[in-house]
Amino acid sequence: MDENIHNEVRRHRFACGEMTQEQLARRVGVSRQTIIAIEKGSYNPSVALALRIARAFGARVEDVFRLDESEGGNDVPRD
Amino acid sequence: MSRVIEQLRARRPATATLVGAALVIAGFLLASVSWWFFILAGAGACGPGLLRELGVLKDKDEFQRRAAHRAGYHAFLATGFFGFVLVALVRATTGELKNPAELTTLMLAMLWLTWLLSSLLTYWGARKASTRLLLGFGAAWLAFALADAGPRPLGWLMASLPALPFFALAALAWRWPRVAGALMVLIAAAMYWFFGYWSNDRMGGLIVNTGVALLLCGPLLGCGTALLSLRREDAPAGAH
Repeated sequence: MDENIHNEVRRHRFACGEMTQEQLARRVGVSRQTIIAIEKGSYNPSVALALRIARAFGARVEDVFRLDESEGGNDVPRD
Repeated sequence: MSRVIEQLRARRPATATLVGAALVIAGFLLASVSWWFFILAGAGACGPGLLRELGVLKDKDEFQRRAAHRAGYHAFLATGFFGFVLVALVRATTGELKNPAELTTLMLAMLWLTWLLSSLLTYWGARKASTRLLLGFGAAWLAFALADAGPRPLGWLMASLPALPFFALAALAWRWPRVAGALMVLIAAAMYWFFGYWSNDRMGGLIVNTGVALLLCGPLLGCGTALLSLRREDAPAGAH
């Protein structure tokens, strides 16, 4: 994982009537494996996909995804 | 029943992937008629990706595209390094290319197999990719052994024994990924030692050793390393 982004996708899925990964995937137009990778934190979605996921839950994007500020992450790449 | 059909339909590979696979198989089969047909295999292997890059095909989501791009970079690193070794070997020694077709086939196989392995590891994750790969290895070994064993049941039993470690490792990879990862790396090293050789003909030795590493050791080493580097939270409960 490149960035320390914490997500609450699994919690929101269960809060939304125990929505399955397959149902969420279909609703936001990606594969189930993509949802699995996002939930595991091994893939950070694009802003567009993050917005679609948040919309599927009826939540704000920052309620579903947030920067984990407990760890580093301020490294600036050099030119 | 309808739910099962729906799930199977959802997990069906993309149409372009199926057409590509059919072209690859046709290319390999028809190559025995004329090698010109081998271009069909190239169209099948690279065509869908080319169309996706051109924006004509839009059948993959962003995670799938990212897995494919990352795998492409890994394939470039592996095959590029091999290419440099090859040029050094040809230039530094008097080794001449007796059979350039073998070398180009080997480089093509390295490029494509590295891409495939890397994209599967990224897309499915280390545990699922390793388990499926080990089951595939075991099944292929079993099929070859059974085909070679003749009609006797005892022969079938004996021939199927070498496949058992792969099935056992697949189960282990799911439950205890790090233990399975360490075993896979050890088995890959043992296979290389057992099947590889360095002949007097350096170029011939290079081709055989790279072929062995690619087909037998590479998948085990790649999956084993990926399993060993799994984060603790990715492993199942009770896993090491």
